[in-house]
Amino acid sequence: MTADELLAESDRLLSTVVPGTRGRWPRACAWLTRLALEQALDEYWFRVLPEAVNCGVRPQLLILPQYASPSTTALATEAWFGLARATHHHAYDLAPTAAELRRWHDLVRTVVAQLTAAGQKVDVAAE
Amino acid sequence: MEGNGAAQVKVDELIVERLDQSGPAGRATDLVLASLLGDDDLFVVLSGTTPSGDRSPQCAQSAEVPLAGLYLRSIEVEGFRGIGPKATLRLQPGPGLTVVAGRNGSGKSSLAEAAELALTDDNKRWSGRTQVWRDGWRNLHTTGESRVGLELTADGRAGLVRVTREWPEGASLDGAESLVQLPAAPRRALSTMDWSAPLEVFRPFLSYSELGALVSGRPSDMYDALQAILGLDQLVGAEKRLTDARKRLDEPSKQADKQLPGLRTRLEEHPDSRASTALDAVRRRPWNLDVIEMLAVGGAIADDAVANRLTQVGAIDLPSVDDIAAATERLRAADQRVTSMAGTPAEDARRIASLLTMALAHQAGHPGQTCPVCRGRVLDDQWAYSAHAEIEQLNKAAGEAGAAHKELAAATQAVRELVGGAPAVLGQDLGDKVDGAAVREAWQAWANLAGSGSAGQLIASAQDRFSALVASVGELQKQAVAVLKQRSEAWQPVAAALASWAEIARSSERAAADLADVRKAIDWLRKAGQEIRDDRMAQLTETSAQVWGMLRQESNVELGPIKLAGASTQRHVSVDVTVDGVAGAALSVMSQGELHALGLALFLPRATSPDSPFRFIVIDDPVQSMDPAKVEGLARLLAWIGKDRQVVVFTHDDRLPEAIRRLQLPATIWEVTRREGSVVELTKNEDPVSRYIDDARALARTTELPEDARAVVVAGFCRSALEAACHEAIRARRLKAGVRHSDVERELTAAQKLRQLLALSLLDDAARGGDVVPALRQRYGQAAVKAFNAAREGTHERYQGDLRHFVEDTVHLANALRA
Repeated sequence: MTADELLAESDRLLSTVVPGTRGRWPRACAWLTRLALEQALDEYWFRVLPEAVNCGVRPQLLILPQYASPSTTALATEAWFGLARATHHHAYDLAPTAAELRRWHDLVRTVVAQLTAAGQKVDVAAE
Repeated sequence: MEGNGAAQVKVDELIVERLDQSGPAGRATDLVLASLLGDDDLFVVLSGTTPSGDRSPQCAQSAEVPLAGLYLRSIEVEGFRGIGPKATLRLQPGPGLTVVAGRNGSGKSSLAEAAELALTDDNKRWSGRTQVWRDGWRNLHTTGESRVGLELTADGRAGLVRVTREWPEGASLDGAESLVQLPAAPRRALSTMDWSAPLEVFRPFLSYSELGALVSGRPSDMYDALQAILGLDQLVGAEKRLTDARKRLDEPSKQADKQLPGLRTRLEEHPDSRASTALDAVRRRPWNLDVIEMLAVGGAIADDAVANRLTQVGAIDLPSVDDIAAATERLRAADQRVTSMAGTPAEDARRIASLLTMALAHQAGHPGQTCPVCRGRVLDDQWAYSAHAEIEQLNKAAGEAGAAHKELAAATQAVRELVGGAPAVLGQDLGDKVDGAAVREAWQAWANLAGSGSAGQLIASAQDRFSALVASVGELQKQAVAVLKQRSEAWQPVAAALASWAEIARSSERAAADLADVRKAIDWLRKAGQEIRDDRMAQLTETSAQVWGMLRQESNVELGPIKLAGASTQRHVSVDVTVDGVAGAALSVMSQGELHALGLALFLPRATSPDSPFRFIVIDDPVQSMDPAKVEGLARLLAWIGKDRQVVVFTHDDRLPEAIRRLQLPATIWEVTRREGSVVELTKNEDPVSRYIDDARALARTTELPEDARAVVVAGFCRSALEAACHEAIRARRLKAGVRHSDVERELTAAQKLRQLLALSLLDDAARGGDVVPALRQRYGQAAVKAFNAAREGTHERYQGDLRHFVEDTVHLANALRA
């Protein structure tokens, strides 16, 4: 699934009542949003720096400012830390709220759009 | 929790008992008794009269047996605060602990508030909220009506008690009334249930902010709240009645004292001599109120000489101008008649007769002498005889002229006597503005004329002199009246002030005896009340100490006796706090969490009082700012209370549910989540491992999500399940070994990755991540390794195998880790 498709699914969980997800949609939504971010980063690195694809999200975010704009990095980093916390088990944490999920979703959608555009520019410049 | 004792002896009985043994002397005992009965009775004792109106309090109440043993069965909320479409919290209507966990903003507090709002139906309680709260009470995502519905069960009643509050579209928070419907009865206003007093006293709804406010708020508020649960209402009521009576009785005296300086100044500045008389009367106690009252009605005072004289001046009464005219006319007529007779025979005869009469008188003294007029003949007896005969003859002839002369003399006398002598007052001091001199002169002028003037002079001048006298007297009287009127006008306001002050002073005089008795009664009741308070408080302290003992855990603060101290504005709760064995510490040494725990220790007993009709208690977020150790204590405490009370606790994180699960305390746990659009969902919350497994199983089955998405999410839930299983295992092992909660939490937070957690769980060392796979294989077999790898990788790359097998492998591993 592409990042956009994953985002569409996570949006569906967030904004509508999907059967079979009662009470469990917040974490599911977090997982899908997180995967969309990873997916977008992987696709970007595949085009820009293939060696970076397999090195995990945290290192990817550390080198991202060298390639993409700092603002894109900032958005991606914020979304990543929120989603990583929501998708690991933490003692005493309850599921993320709709507002948090919406924020991360918006961040990731912006990052996906910016990375897609940036990657294509590099492609054009390379040719 | 029955620590607060079963049925308490009523306070009035205790007081009556003490009155019998050692009541105050005289009427004060009657006053204490009456103050226990009510305002009317107190009035009777104080006034000796019978109050009007019906005094039997029972007749107003219905014969209905009040509901008791109330449990909540459900809370249903729609369009209120954070809740949009209808959300329902179902509860077991009986003793037990229910925890509702939800993130801030999930709508959990809205459930608690809605329930409280519907049941209290008291706008006062909500009017204290911020404007934002009051305006924002209606959920933004719903239009149309908002609604809160509660179902309750009552001991000994079949069927449900339903409480509802419905707001039509556009109504304000106050724009609705709560209704209640008992089994097989029509709906009616909740206010008919008389629940407001027990709700206020027992407060079955307790919120975090309220707990904080109770402990750190005004000392007098805490005093009042505690006093209410001690069942001291009657004592408080009696004290208040007596204090009110004292205030009322003392009020006139205070007022009189307060107004006196102003009154004195006014009197000092007033020119009227009555003012200084009044001043003398109020110079010192006891005031001479008789004098003040007389002056107040404007009464003249005997020693006010000038005013008296002026009044006398006003009373001077002269004959009328007509009288003087008539008298003068009479004189003039008499005079004219006399004049007109001159030279007539009658006049001659009168004159000769007059001459002979005088000669006869001379002859009687000097008989036999020569006539002194003609020196001729000797006037002898013969002469006298013939003279007598001649006078008789002549008088007959002169009769008319004689009458005329008599009349003239009478008319003259009448004019002279027409005006009396000048009144003495004219010569006396008549004040600055009135002078009698002119009148005295005019009067003298008249007197001169009247005393020695001839008839002719009188005729000529009497009328003029009299007119002058009348004019000057009239002028003087005008002045005197003006001065008197001015004085009276200037006095009027002072008289009014004196009158109103005298009335107040009189009532203070009348109240003095009552006041002394009421003071005696108050002193006695205060002393007796303090003993009763201490006694009751000792019972509460016991329960509080139990609660605190469960909550304190690692705290070094010990709770000693709690006392209600001080009176009126100085009243406060004195808590004996001991820190590390050092007594006399203030509440300020306690942390926020400890203060809240103390608040619970002090106020849980009242919510669970056997006298309360409510068998449920709803606590909103007691966990905030509590450290994990206290949460454990709280969990135990709540479960303990839950043995014979229905306890519903709302909490914003998983600490309390975690403690409940770990300590294996009986409880039902719900989790609240709120979607966009304020869709609030309640799901049963089991332990996190089972919960994640459940989620994973459900998503593995669902066809609603695309295969790719499903695989990632299922892998995510499986990973979380394993992480949670590790947490549980590590925490249980560490706490059992006596490690502090905070240290355990730090260790768990540091181990972030699943590999680290498994290393910690299996090998007791988070750094040995590389040994995890062999250890797993050795202990739990290859399936465990498969589950671990799938959970780790599947969240990044789609798991290719059968998702359901993956979930079951995870279940096996998780259970093994927790065993």
